[in-house]
Amino acid sequence: MTDQDPDTAHSRKPNPGTPFTSKSVSNIESTPHPAATEAAFGSLREMHAYMRLAREWDLRFEKMFRTGALSKWYSSVGNEATTVASACAIEAGDSLLTLHRDSGAILRHYLDINALLPGVLPQDPVIRKPMGGDSEHRFLRLACQMLGREHGFSSGHERSYHYNLFEEEWGLFHIGMISHLGSMIPVAAGTAFAYQQQGSDRVAINFIGEGATSTGDFHEALNIASVWKLPFILVIENNRWAFSTPTSQQYACDHLADRALGYGIPGVQVDGTDAEAVLSVMQTAVARARSGDGPTLVEAMLGRHRGHSEGDDSLQQVPEEELQQYGEQDPLDLAEKRLIDGGVFSRAWIDEVRERCASLVINTVDLAMSMPQPDVHQPRSIYAD
Amino acid sequence: MQTDTSTESDDTLYIDAISAALSDEMRADPNVVLMGQDIAGHGGAFKITRGFLEEFGDQRVRNTPIAESGTIGIAIGSAMLGIKPVVEMQFADFISCGFNQIVNVAAKMYWRTKHSVPLVIRLPSGGGMGAGTFHSQNIENWFLHTPGLKVVSPAYSGDAYRLLRAAIRDPNPVLYFEHKFLYRRERSPVQTQSVPERILGESSILRSGTDITTVSWGWMTHRTLEAAEILSQEGIEVEVIDLPVLSPLDHRGIIQSVEKTQRAAIIHEATGTGGFGAEIAARICDEAIWSLDAPVRRITYPDSPPPFHKGLEASRIPTPERICCELRQLLDV
Repeated sequence: MTDQDPDTAHSRKPNPGTPFTSKSVSNIESTPHPAATEAAFGSLREMHAYMRLAREWDLRFEKMFRTGALSKWYSSVGNEATTVASACAIEAGDSLLTLHRDSGAILRHYLDINALLPGVLPQDPVIRKPMGGDSEHRFLRLACQMLGREHGFSSGHERSYHYNLFEEEWGLFHIGMISHLGSMIPVAAGTAFAYQQQGSDRVAINFIGEGATSTGDFHEALNIASVWKLPFILVIENNRWAFSTPTSQQYACDHLADRALGYGIPGVQVDGTDAEAVLSVMQTAVARARSGDGPTLVEAMLGRHRGHSEGDDSLQQVPEEELQQYGEQDPLDLAEKRLIDGGVFSRAWIDEVRERCASLVINTVDLAMSMPQPDVHQPRSIYAD
Repeated sequence: MQTDTSTESDDTLYIDAISAALSDEMRADPNVVLMGQDIAGHGGAFKITRGFLEEFGDQRVRNTPIAESGTIGIAIGSAMLGIKPVVEMQFADFISCGFNQIVNVAAKMYWRTKHSVPLVIRLPSGGGMGAGTFHSQNIENWFLHTPGLKVVSPAYSGDAYRLLRAAIRDPNPVLYFEHKFLYRRERSPVQTQSVPERILGESSILRSGTDITTVSWGWMTHRTLEAAEILSQEGIEVEVIDLPVLSPLDHRGIIQSVEKTQRAAIIHEATGTGGFGAEIAARICDEAIWSLDAPVRRITYPDSPPPFHKGLEASRIPTPERICCELRQLLDV
């Protein structure tokens, strides 16, 4: 850093705002499980399959972005443990509100991976039942959505994750983001309000980045949700950099989870690279919400792996040693190390899962590429009839 | 609890028509939920929901914290899953704190996703009472510029009742501008039968005339009618068009009238520059310019915030005398 001008050097100082909680995967000692059976690792195995699918999904679109086949991409790489584990904690009928780094939650919530890749998981799910309905069709439509095709959820009118998917017959209620970060927090709380009004035990979860905790909507929604005891879980994916702004310039408290105290609700900080830890926290939060005790604020500590969007230079602001540290805390590496070290799953099996996920993604995205473009002459109403 | 509206009434106060529309629709549809500041035990700043807590309970009549954006966002989310929220702004002016939820989340949701947001926001608006800068504004134009919203501006008790019930039944977000000056001054018949299911563009000719067309809404329609009465005694016949619904706009009725009278003026209480009068004037010029014998006139508030002093305020709001004066000028052209 000594060869840089003082201004740049200042902006590249290590980010002191939030202490790291994750360990590098290579430093983690994991020993064979005492009862080393597949069942003992069932939860992790189930989450890992979806994490791998999400990773391959992102890697594919990142590659397409680099080759110019896609005009914009926001990567979810590094967030998979948090997003997949969170989606594992909800069920059909719950509402899911996502951001642009939540492909893991979307894929986990939409798909039955065994229907797409038979045998990847045992027939009976360990954590949650997969969403009913046609996974293959949904996955293809999702790929079409990313590519702006007619068959996508917004028929090419909205970008990537800015869409909704409701399939009431299966209890699928997914609401995507608008670009104004934090704006969907009240909307998510509103779906929870609907459940409360209807006397249902369903819950809503919403992902935000740490940057959106600075918005008024964060405060307003969390406050109302707490006063009204809404069945709502707000998950902060704290990857410590909002576009190019480090946490030290975003907030002055030690932990965002501590803000829950001000709302009179539980706040939990968790290592967001550890799928099992996130699952445990989320299951507790969801159970609390279902029993009518109100919201929980979860702060999942992550690291920045990619630019704000692919192709921007925001990652230049993250010091190299910090970026390297995040790379060593890759949630997929952690999950795979645990599965292998546990003595049940081989590296060959892990590789096979990865190859099958990658093939599925490539085939689905290729098929989506061949699907029709939107009809530019088709009018689109601004009003519902 | 409310004015009995089970039969047609000849003299329902505007404010009672609003209360009755809310309570009748809440009785008709258990999914209707009210949210707003101080609306439960207190009955709201204008007492429109007085007695609602007792009849409908605290689950359906929700006091909210002072959080317009949070409240509107929660209303949006619940509307997407089957609730019919009606949010009361304590004063229309405060809606600026919830602006983003309205213009970017609610207004665009159907176009973006084909999921409707059946949301109503009630906005006690307008001046005339010396209530000061932040309790007197006319801000309908902030939202008329945003595709996807419906905007309602009743001038009469009957329209206030009918359009509020229709707004709640409509699957789209509706901004319902109710004029505070009319609350306890306007009194007219309310028809409670055959409530429409949707808000549709409507323009209504309140007085037929051959010499000039006026277009107005809310309180200004009453003042325009007073002006028309004065001018009639001078032999000038004004065709007075009221717009109970501003968006979607029924401009065909306006165009047809202007083609007949060949002169037009738009009267609104909101400020002039970039106001909705400019849009209506442009539509007249687009479609009826060859019929015009005079320029299209806008009679509006000057470009200033509302002042506190009643005299200062009164000097800015178009009066029947000023409307008469400006219409006479158009007829001299």
